[in-house]
Amino acid sequence: MSSDANAYDAGSGEDQQRLDLADGIDHQVAMVMDLNQCVGCQTCSIACKTLWTSGSGQEYMYWNNVETKPGEGYPRGWEESGGGWKSDANDEREPGEIPSKEDYGDAWEFNHSEIMYEGDDTPLRPKGGDPEYGPNWEEDQGAGEYPNSYYFYLPRICNHCTHPSCVEACPRSALYKREEDGIVLVDQERCRGYRYCVEGCPYKKVYYNEVKKTSEKCIFCYPRIEGEGPDGEVKPTACASECPPQLRYVGFLDDQQGPIYKLVERYGVALPLHPEYQTQPNVYYIPPFAPPQQDTEGETLEVDRIPPEYLEELFGEEVHDALETIQREREKVERGGSSELMDILTTVNNEDQYRLEVFDDA
Amino acid sequence: MSESTDSRDEPNRAQSDADVARRDFLKGAGMATVLGVTGLGAADDGAMDGLKVVDDPIGNYPYREWEDLYREQWDWDSISRSTHSVNCTGSCSWDVYVKNGQVWREEQAADYPEFDEDLPDPNPRGCNKGACYTDYVNADQRVLHPLKRTGERGEGKWKQISWDEALTEIAEHVVDEVEAGRYDAISGFTPIPAMSPVSFASGSRLINLLGGVSHSFYDWYSDLPPGQPITWGHQTDNAESADWYNSDYIIAWGSNINVTRIPDAKYFLEAGYNGTKRVGVFSDYSQTAIHTDEWIGPDPGTDPALALGMARTIVDEGLYDEAHLKEQSDMPLLTREDTGKFLTVADVDAIDGSGFEEPAKVQVMLDDAGTLRAAPGALGDREAKYDDSKSIELPFDPQLDVDREVEGIPVRSVWNRLNEELANYTPEYVYEETGVGEETHQRIAREFAKADRGKIIHGKGINDWYHNDLGNRAIQLLVTLTGHIGRQGTGLDHYVGQEKIWTVHGWKKLTFPTGKVRGVPTTLWTYYHAGIMDNADQETVDRIEESLEKGWMPLYPEERDDGTRPDPSTMFVWRGNYFNQAKGNIAVEETLWPKLDLVVDINFRMDSTALYSDIVLPSASHYEKHDLSMTDMHSYVHPFTPAVEPLGESKTDWEIFRLLAKKIQEVATERGVGPIQDRKFDREIDLQSIYDDYVRDWLSGEEGALEDDRAAAEFILEHSEESNPSDSDEQITFADIEDQPQRFEAAGDHWTSDIEDGEAYTPWKDFVQDKEPWPTLTGRQQYYIDHDWFLDLGEELPTHKSAVDEQDSTDYPLRYNTPHGRWSIHSTWRDNTHMLRLQRGEPVVYLNPDDAERRGIDDGDTVKVYNDVGEIEVSAKIYPSGEEGTARHYFAWEKFQYPDRNNFNSLVPMYMKPTQLVQYPEDSGEHLHFFPNFWGPTGVNSDVRVEIEKVGGDE
Repeated sequence: MSSDANAYDAGSGEDQQRLDLADGIDHQVAMVMDLNQCVGCQTCSIACKTLWTSGSGQEYMYWNNVETKPGEGYPRGWEESGGGWKSDANDEREPGEIPSKEDYGDAWEFNHSEIMYEGDDTPLRPKGGDPEYGPNWEEDQGAGEYPNSYYFYLPRICNHCTHPSCVEACPRSALYKREEDGIVLVDQERCRGYRYCVEGCPYKKVYYNEVKKTSEKCIFCYPRIEGEGPDGEVKPTACASECPPQLRYVGFLDDQQGPIYKLVERYGVALPLHPEYQTQPNVYYIPPFAPPQQDTEGETLEVDRIPPEYLEELFGEEVHDALETIQREREKVERGGSSELMDILTTVNNEDQYRLEVFDDA
Repeated sequence: MSESTDSRDEPNRAQSDADVARRDFLKGAGMATVLGVTGLGAADDGAMDGLKVVDDPIGNYPYREWEDLYREQWDWDSISRSTHSVNCTGSCSWDVYVKNGQVWREEQAADYPEFDEDLPDPNPRGCNKGACYTDYVNADQRVLHPLKRTGERGEGKWKQISWDEALTEIAEHVVDEVEAGRYDAISGFTPIPAMSPVSFASGSRLINLLGGVSHSFYDWYSDLPPGQPITWGHQTDNAESADWYNSDYIIAWGSNINVTRIPDAKYFLEAGYNGTKRVGVFSDYSQTAIHTDEWIGPDPGTDPALALGMARTIVDEGLYDEAHLKEQSDMPLLTREDTGKFLTVADVDAIDGSGFEEPAKVQVMLDDAGTLRAAPGALGDREAKYDDSKSIELPFDPQLDVDREVEGIPVRSVWNRLNEELANYTPEYVYEETGVGEETHQRIAREFAKADRGKIIHGKGINDWYHNDLGNRAIQLLVTLTGHIGRQGTGLDHYVGQEKIWTVHGWKKLTFPTGKVRGVPTTLWTYYHAGIMDNADQETVDRIEESLEKGWMPLYPEERDDGTRPDPSTMFVWRGNYFNQAKGNIAVEETLWPKLDLVVDINFRMDSTALYSDIVLPSASHYEKHDLSMTDMHSYVHPFTPAVEPLGESKTDWEIFRLLAKKIQEVATERGVGPIQDRKFDREIDLQSIYDDYVRDWLSGEEGALEDDRAAAEFILEHSEESNPSDSDEQITFADIEDQPQRFEAAGDHWTSDIEDGEAYTPWKDFVQDKEPWPTLTGRQQYYIDHDWFLDLGEELPTHKSAVDEQDSTDYPLRYNTPHGRWSIHSTWRDNTHMLRLQRGEPVVYLNPDDAERRGIDDGDTVKVYNDVGEIEVSAKIYPSGEEGTARHYFAWEKFQYPDRNNFNSLVPMYMKPTQLVQYPEDSGEHLHFFPNFWGPTGVNSDVRVEIEKVGGDE
């Protein structure tokens, strides 16, 4: 381990204190997503959809979505839709809004059969009129002006927050956080579909199923991480397993030997999205780099392409230190040195990214 | 994971009577909340309706038995291994999950064995498309029965017919054609053996026995980089993607890795954490550019100028690898000032020509003492194109820069000529032409030259231009000058199309049992029969005629003795969407298609070609058959195996063509059709034995050995060096790969390096490290081509020529670009509901915001994109990262996705570059001769201009 890294190592006892898991939770599942490896392919979205949300009333839902940033995202304008807590005391919820159906976009059905087998000469189109929004409507758009435009991809699942405002919002107490792993679930038997949770989640990661009349959300693939399939194998979430660049780390925040703990706690390079919502997410992001800007003569400048203030808007003030740390460690490797951080960020063995069988009681 | 709380033992609350009453009560409360009213306390509500109380939902929720709901969903009956046959180069092994007798979902098998533990994990390979192929198995698009057209082609009006009816109708037609001597009017179009060689062979084997025509594809789709056969004498040879991680400096040049090589992207992305600098060269700030360390955006079509500018910097500043150039390139070779041809042993007295097979094909150079020396390993010094008995190692030190007289003949070295050419590419000119900064492009050139291991990943973005050969050669020059070739982490890797099949020998024997193959360059075949001779400029027409006359390029049907040439009459299409993907699409539809009396499409889905066919035969999906899969992106082989039986009446490709062979044999026997002498080859076409011939193992002679697709797959593995090497007991069988993908044991002689344990495959080591002669005229990497046509056109060296501009730039100010996108593999998945929902549900064109604003176009507007060839109606999408002046329409939307049934290819005229019709040397063609997918004209499409206007813009 490098001497730099040692400086972060404050000793396991203290770290355990600092971790701040929710009261009553033994361990907390967590995920780190490296945005520098996200290519926006949405294999994660499809992996999740084909596994969990193909049923009726679920067609429009993407428990896992990927959106182009900057952009309004999915559902449209979620960052402006309220929810979360008024302060880090987590004693008063910030009121929120329930997105409209249009903000999610319809799950279009198409006229394949009519065109292919029934002699219809209209083009293949979504049935029921011109679509105006969808879960990936703003793909590749971003902001800025050529040649100094910028965009990147942001995959999102439920953050399984330490202070889940969706749980607090439910008048029936139909949402809860599991004791053994901190996964936040909607009890599909107790839920009556009031949608306080949809309103209360600042990330808009709870979805209402109007056929079943219940709200549904990402379950962190608990049957997979429990090893509850016919093969009895413990597997990471489908979004992580199927990710082609393997940009996700899945495990427990409180597993101090694991990469998530190191990235979040030791190096401080993995950051929660919109920490100001005060829910304390357990999904963390390695913030994105981008090639520098160009001047009008086509020369490369030493100017950040993605405005740092925009990244700060998403990931809070700590983003600057995080980017600096990564940059410093990258340069160390470029000079021929070694870096534990760079080693962690490289996927030489996928198994290293997934540590799900470390606790006997989880 | 523990089973957690005790609450599982409690009775199910939902079933109590009290619960029903509560539900009704709460409905009202629920309504209120929908309106956005908040503030109801959880505790109040619980007390109000008598629900069991939850003291603390954080960590102490008592009613968790319902959680079995999702556990029960995580359940399946069986898993089979398969993959997808879509020409994407992914070749990804998937587990297909079956539940209740139906394919439920897929997930990457993720068990490619690792061969180098210092590289990123090879697993999992896959992408968004592969993750929902299940859709196609059960989709509305699925062809389930043999269909016969009842309306016009394309109308989508069908009647369901029996297999026997379908096969009989086709067989009768085929027997008629063969009997009439028009067997060379029967075409089989199926691309890319590597993606499923058994299915490729199924129809091609029958076509071969019939004396029909097999079509090329790699050149037709403009995936072939002509610069590689021109300069390196070889089709293409690439490092597998794992090798990217071995580089210190990678330039991604027009190769949108993050979109088109999703399973491989990690090697590029993670290299950034390994000290590698990654530079992106894209005209837009592309999806790959966003993850580079530096991005430069040359104006579209100016890449050769940029490359030559970088080359100039490398040469001027002495950053080139002199030893490499002297030994491995044609730079020291002498050329005649009078004729422009190479100076050869035959031209000079100083070297005794008697020791050479063909002195006129042995070039010469000057050593440091000024003595003339023959170039070792030149063609005239070799037995054949490939000759590993010779070496290009130099026993002397040649002069690079020569400009003098030799025996009274004024000569200059290629290096001297190249320097003169490069002098044109001053920093000022390069900036002017490309828009890339003077300092920036020179700095990148220096960095690349100084890197220990530099690599260029080269892609379709720069290969679709008319002058793609010049562009290729200019960019190739950078790796030659710097010696970044023939070692791990170096080279120019061109990835477009799964063009190469590792197990080539077994595949060839299965596909072409007679060994007599009517291969045709599909670009020429298509354009000729679609009327290019009446539509192209005179020079192109003349050169096509000359090429045909000299026999440089073949064309079928052959010209008959009486000087006539019949039209093609019959086309079988399978594993491809020829009609949709044809450039010159309007001419193909209007002129070529009507010539075909019978079009048969074999397909699992109703794509545009199927829709415009006469008979559609239902084919097994990728999860219902046995086959093999491989790619040059990796060095493994893995299988298709059936997860379920073919749905409806569908059958595997192998069974379909076997049954057709049987029917043809029946009909021919009934009619007493005797053997027919082939007009070109020394063989008889015998329809009465065609089925027996189809299922016979021609190598062992065993009758009936190849009845099914699995036996055919095993045949390929058994007869290929890669899976059954001659010098070892190791052998890869179908059972082995069913168990786990296997890395190939060896590389056959169509590869230019060996497969080595613990190392990613990297090409050209045979020449660079083992010093075998390059398979070119000069035995070296050859940048100077002294073919008459190249000399006529001033293209003997790489040079920059502007795009040809098929349309007037005043009337059509926008460039039209049709890149590969992330939502489809060619046209497959273009019509997929899951994929369409993650786009905008219909074809879109990406526009720069200023271009859009100038035309009053907003995001989401319907627009007309048009030129003098055609027009299409699509939806506009504003793309701030696109350069001004380009309309970017990601390609391969199906005809039926456009209102007028035009498509993305409707704006593309028929055009091709005559230099790709040549044979070289002119008399013998060892260096360049027509060979399907190896050398032939590419179907280019980027030199097209359009204008755009809003539909209903005045309203």
